Amino acid sequence: MSDAAWDVLVLGAGAAGLVAAFHARQAGASVLVINKGLVGRSGATITSGGGVSIAGQSLRALGIEADGSDTEERFLQDTLSAGSWLNDQRLVESMVTGVGAEVGRLIDWGIKFTVNRRAPGHSSGRGIHISGVDMQRALTRIAVQAGVSFREDFQSTRLLKRDGAVVGVLGLDRRTGEVCSIYGHSTVIATGGATSNWSLRTAPEELSGEGQRMAVEAGATLIDMEMTQFLPCCLAAPAIWRGLQFPWILGPQSGVHAWLMNRYGERFMARWDPVRMELATRDMVSAACATEVYEGRGSPNGGVYLSWKHLPNDIIDHFPSLSRSVSADWQWEGFDMTPLVERIKQGYAIEVAPAAHFSLGGVRIDTGASTGVTGLYACGEATGALHGANRLSGNAGAQVLVQGRIAGVAAAQDAQQRRARDRVSDNHQQALAETDEPFQRSSGVVPFELKESLARLAESALGPVRTAQSLEQALDTLRQLKDSSLGQLACRTRERLWNRDWSDALECQAAFTVIESALLGAIARRHSIGAHQRHDHKGTYTGELTHTLIRQSAGVLSHHTAPVAFALQARP
Amino acid sequence: MLMHLTLWRDGALRQLEVRLPPPAGLELGIDNWEGASVSTALQYAQRVFEPNLGYALSCRRGLCKLCAMRIDGEVRLACTVPMHDGIRIEPAKPRLALHDTVIELSLVREKGVRARSVSDVRPERKE
Repeated sequence: MSDAAWDVLVLGAGAAGLVAAFHARQAGASVLVINKGLVGRSGATITSGGGVSIAGQSLRALGIEADGSDTEERFLQDTLSAGSWLNDQRLVESMVTGVGAEVGRLIDWGIKFTVNRRAPGHSSGRGIHISGVDMQRALTRIAVQAGVSFREDFQSTRLLKRDGAVVGVLGLDRRTGEVCSIYGHSTVIATGGATSNWSLRTAPEELSGEGQRMAVEAGATLIDMEMTQFLPCCLAAPAIWRGLQFPWILGPQSGVHAWLMNRYGERFMARWDPVRMELATRDMVSAACATEVYEGRGSPNGGVYLSWKHLPNDIIDHFPSLSRSVSADWQWEGFDMTPLVERIKQGYAIEVAPAAHFSLGGVRIDTGASTGVTGLYACGEATGALHGANRLSGNAGAQVLVQGRIAGVAAAQDAQQRRARDRVSDNHQQALAETDEPFQRSSGVVPFELKESLARLAESALGPVRTAQSLEQALDTLRQLKDSSLGQLACRTRERLWNRDWSDALECQAAFTVIESALLGAIARRHSIGAHQRHDHKGTYTGELTHTLIRQSAGVLSHHTAPVAFALQARP
Repeated sequence: MLMHLTLWRDGALRQLEVRLPPPAGLELGIDNWEGASVSTALQYAQRVFEPNLGYALSCRRGLCKLCAMRIDGEVRLACTVPMHDGIRIEPAKPRLALHDTVIELSLVREKGVRARSVSDVRPERKE
């Protein structure tokens, strides 16, 4: 064993992690990026629609033609308004004022993008467009060229601590089947959201929330974990198309006036937003669809109908020529959508449902990307409170670039000033035992079965529409499962290498923290706001706005609140 | 629904046949396997028949290219290819095979480092 420790460990290799790694390396640090899957072939960045929100004013300062009336203040205002003023305003300020420099860096790196003409939800056509695939590819190249090192197929499970500071990470190397400790003076969590814990989702397979779990266990605070953004109008079936947002793109996302209907053919959006109807914000459309299902007016497979029948077929035929993502022969992402489009043109409606899309809550950070735990930083979707109760399109792209840089620079500086003495941690034995446990146990609960139960539980209680009854029932069930099953997880195979049961078991450990945090927040938030719609507390909420804070002590999660600080703008 | 799998395991290729039951009632939202991808079928097979079965999967929509494998003789993305009876599934490139259908697709691994060896990168400070 070498005595060497890395200066900076970055957990996650999506845009946030790679930007953090690049900047930490530029600052002179040795940097190891640790990723659950393959770098450049996993994470949510690849699946992103590919927007980066930036004020027109900031684009003009970079010499790019854009809407000059679109100021940083307007960008901030739109973000707060979309987030129902639940945002951490200082984090929003950091994003809107910082993204110009980051887009400038994209230009310096030779990354090509186009300038938006329209941006859903924004008051201006602000922002730039670059596909998620292209963004991931470019940032992977930049990080490699900067001399960042990588450890792939490594599932991080516990942060290692010494005297209150994070000194490294322990996890499972899936390729070798070894449980390994990796030491670093400073650690950045960039593991992304936790939406893989929902059954219907747009997220890739690996977003299980290990980052959120590790952080809260290490002493960090989770904020607004009940806030999950749902993308309306995704396909629930057949299995091969499950979670695809194609109907949303062929419809409201692109400004195409497809109609949402319940089983009675009623355009239910009229009850929510009679002016914008289907073009209302994503949180509202998701809530409206979920309410129809909840109140018994859904379609046979638990969704609602999206119909183009009132539109001439010409509008559909011309759609690909105006789309950045759909080809002339209806190839979209990896799929041939021709059969679906033919069905639409024959006049059939498509059954759609909201899919878990983005974690609005996560690890609480300050504008310096610090979690408050010595040696621990976080950035990107793994963090919370920037977007408040709903996220605008393109704001995740701005977030990863701005927060990634801040986290990388801060971690590199921290590593210079505060060097771990040796490769020793106080909790290594326990971390190792808890990670190894599911593999060592020869009989018990099959991990994928528990994982599926948890996903169903999240799906049923933590969808876009919630009630006290279903939330409390889910919390009871979750606690029962924790007592009866979590400690009984057992792999069905004795092979250490590429052991999927083992990985599933470790993901279950994270799922309990994520789902319990969300339930605690959702139960206590007895009002409807943005992505959190309480069927038993309908209507606009004008009471005091608070953040949900979740902390962990002696293995038990506790719920706290803190008033939202209106540091820059008062709530109207 | 019969799947013919050729898997790279313990340094050799071996054959495995998996017969999937009708999918109605399996909570896959399909009445026949033609509505599911090869990835979904492999996931089901790992869960129910062969706990050791190795397959790679991330985005589930043809973007990350992680699930590339040879399907009926052609390298394709398993998450976007619909199932059919008698389908033949193999590693995309046997010489890159790591485990079953999983092959070495790393974009950042240093060339010349054996795929199966323990990752042994050491911190190096930038001067």
